[in-house]
Amino acid sequence: MEKVKCECGHLNPYGTYLCESCGKPLKEEKGKVANMRYEGVARRSQTYKQTPIDKIWNFFSSVKVGIWIIVLLLLTSSLGTLFPQEMYIPPGENPTLYYEQEYGLAGKLYYQLGFHNLYSSWWYMLLIASLGVSLVIASLDRVVPLYRALKTQRVTRHEGFLKRQRIFGEATGITDPDSEMAKAEEILKEKRYNVRRENGNILAEKGRFARWGPYVNHVGLIIFLIGGMLRFFPGMYLDAHVWVREGEQEVISGTNGEYFLRNNEFLIELYDEEDEKYREALQRTGSPVVKTYQTSATLLKRSNEGTVGSETELEEVKDYDIRVNDPLTFEGFSLYQVDYKLNELSQFTFTLENESDENLSDEIQFQVDLNDPQKLYEFDNGYRIEIMEYFPNFVLDDNREPSTLNRIPDNPRIIFEVFPPDVNHEEESGEISLIGIQVNEALNGENDHTIRMLDVEMVDVTGLTIRKDHTLPIISIGGIIFMIGLIQGSYWHHRRIWIQNREGTLLLAGHANKNWQALKNDFQLISDNTHIPSPKDQTEKEDEGVSQNNDPTKQ
Amino acid sequence: MKQRRLIIRSVILIVMLAAIGYTFYNHFSTERGLVDQGDIAPNFVLEDMEGNRLELADLQGEGVYVNFWATYCTYCRDKMAYLQEYYEEYEQEGVKIVSINVNETTLQVERHQQRQGLSYPLFIDRNMLVSNAYGVSSLPATFLIDENGQVIERQIGAKSEEQVLESLNELIPGS
Repeated sequence: MEKVKCECGHLNPYGTYLCESCGKPLKEEKGKVANMRYEGVARRSQTYKQTPIDKIWNFFSSVKVGIWIIVLLLLTSSLGTLFPQEMYIPPGENPTLYYEQEYGLAGKLYYQLGFHNLYSSWWYMLLIASLGVSLVIASLDRVVPLYRALKTQRVTRHEGFLKRQRIFGEATGITDPDSEMAKAEEILKEKRYNVRRENGNILAEKGRFARWGPYVNHVGLIIFLIGGMLRFFPGMYLDAHVWVREGEQEVISGTNGEYFLRNNEFLIELYDEEDEKYREALQRTGSPVVKTYQTSATLLKRSNEGTVGSETELEEVKDYDIRVNDPLTFEGFSLYQVDYKLNELSQFTFTLENESDENLSDEIQFQVDLNDPQKLYEFDNGYRIEIMEYFPNFVLDDNREPSTLNRIPDNPRIIFEVFPPDVNHEEESGEISLIGIQVNEALNGENDHTIRMLDVEMVDVTGLTIRKDHTLPIISIGGIIFMIGLIQGSYWHHRRIWIQNREGTLLLAGHANKNWQALKNDFQLISDNTHIPSPKDQTEKEDEGVSQNNDPTKQ
Repeated sequence: MKQRRLIIRSVILIVMLAAIGYTFYNHFSTERGLVDQGDIAPNFVLEDMEGNRLELADLQGEGVYVNFWATYCTYCRDKMAYLQEYYEEYEQEGVKIVSINVNETTLQVERHQQRQGLSYPLFIDRNMLVSNAYGVSSLPATFLIDENGQVIERQIGAKSEEQVLESLNELIPGS
């Protein structure tokens, strides 16, 4: 038995409460008032025979399941905000230890349960995906039958349908029912109802499109989620960070090693502490406040001619001053100013001192470029200084041997070998010393000569965010459609008024999906201008329990 | 009617499942390198410490073991010691070792070469052009390129002596 046939001849799908065409109740229900939810149509999920596909479908079609998914998402999402996510813990910290050190046992549990990386965990993403599936299926299951029911509804309804509307009234003994109905029709038309007549019966309807509001809203949400999903597709989204030292160039990630950015100069301007206007505020913060900062940058592109490597030219594409909220953009990429580091070492100037020769320090001065040191320095007076070893970021490695952590000169150490003119550099060894910031050690016995640092040159480093986002237009469109649906469903409401003439007795019934008072006002207006009495609200003065069971305002 | 409904439902579910599956695959699978197995290795030109020019394309017909390294990378040091031991032997078999430093100072590379006693040529990748073209982000990174210029494997991280030997054997032309 797939279909239920109503006495009016309409075939209704299995699970229908009220005949789609005439509205006759097909199932016995408790209470005086019919459940008008989804027009009493069968939701698609209510099939009598279930294949596995149907079972999955019905699971996601359930509003109960949908609500549970939302509740779970809310709970887990809020859990993720208890402690900072992994990407926001101080750089260089080991997350396995950090959470326990900072937050104790709770932190340890937090880490072990994977909440430190919650928003990209597989189960959180699965929850979001289920929400999307639930939205699609639940909406499809409801909007299709609702649309069909509202489209196929007839003007003449079954008496049982009218009697079981929340607003219902009977008027007998009206002298000229036809002219009264014509008057009522005029009034309703004036109130901008859409009036249909059939066999002397009236169906006045207004604001049906408000019924589609929730579904339009869902479509917006689904588009929004699709936009979010696209971020995981290759080439759609990039959010990376790059540090560029003044005078250096770095590759822009995501461009396949094709584009580079050179930092020509980094500028920073602080608020003037002497200025009357800011003095008070600056004293309150206690530290200097940045007014503006800027990177004068040049975008470079690897030339397509020739082979990659030592023969490749980098072509200058454009110069740009990157400021906060004023990014350098090219080919969908944007480079934003977000951070800076001041005063990183770039060059040392040394001199050589000898107790017995005071003029020596004037004669010998040399610079060591920390990004490309020379091997050998020779001087006119016969002195010769070699760099034996250079460690840009000095560290003792696992074997207790001097080494470097990376190629950034954050903690440079240099081992010099000094040959005075009387020492043969090919046969004898010179005076060896280890030099760094606040470090000056003789490595082979007492040295007659001392290397002194005269000057330090520093550069600034700019921190930029590399951003590419092709999903933003999709997400915006989703958001706009979401709002349209919300407004459509909230600021309009669907009202229907039935007036039927049954051999001189007028049956009046009304239904609204919300704002019943407006519907009652419309009935009042009819009764004020005609002899038709205003119908009653059947839920008033009724047993509370019953009216709640069948609350027709529920959507 | 019943049949149609089943088909519609299945199609909708499959489409959604495919989209979600693809998203998860992208998110959780280990990322494929910019240059990876099966790709034609991008050509490059580098100069060694003596200024000798090397172009990858000239090595057609030979297996090429391209190794990106840095002085501060301990695993690279081990790997380069193994290569030092075997490179002459494999050169005769038609396997070339191309050892590329990731833009450290010439001084450091030279001292490293002396200290570790490396006698095969070392190349410095100025401005990281080659490293970036190959998508190298962690070291050591090795690309095994066969005699036709095709990448047969991309290896990241430490390798034992046996593994290095195995890779070198794989590279012997015609093997």
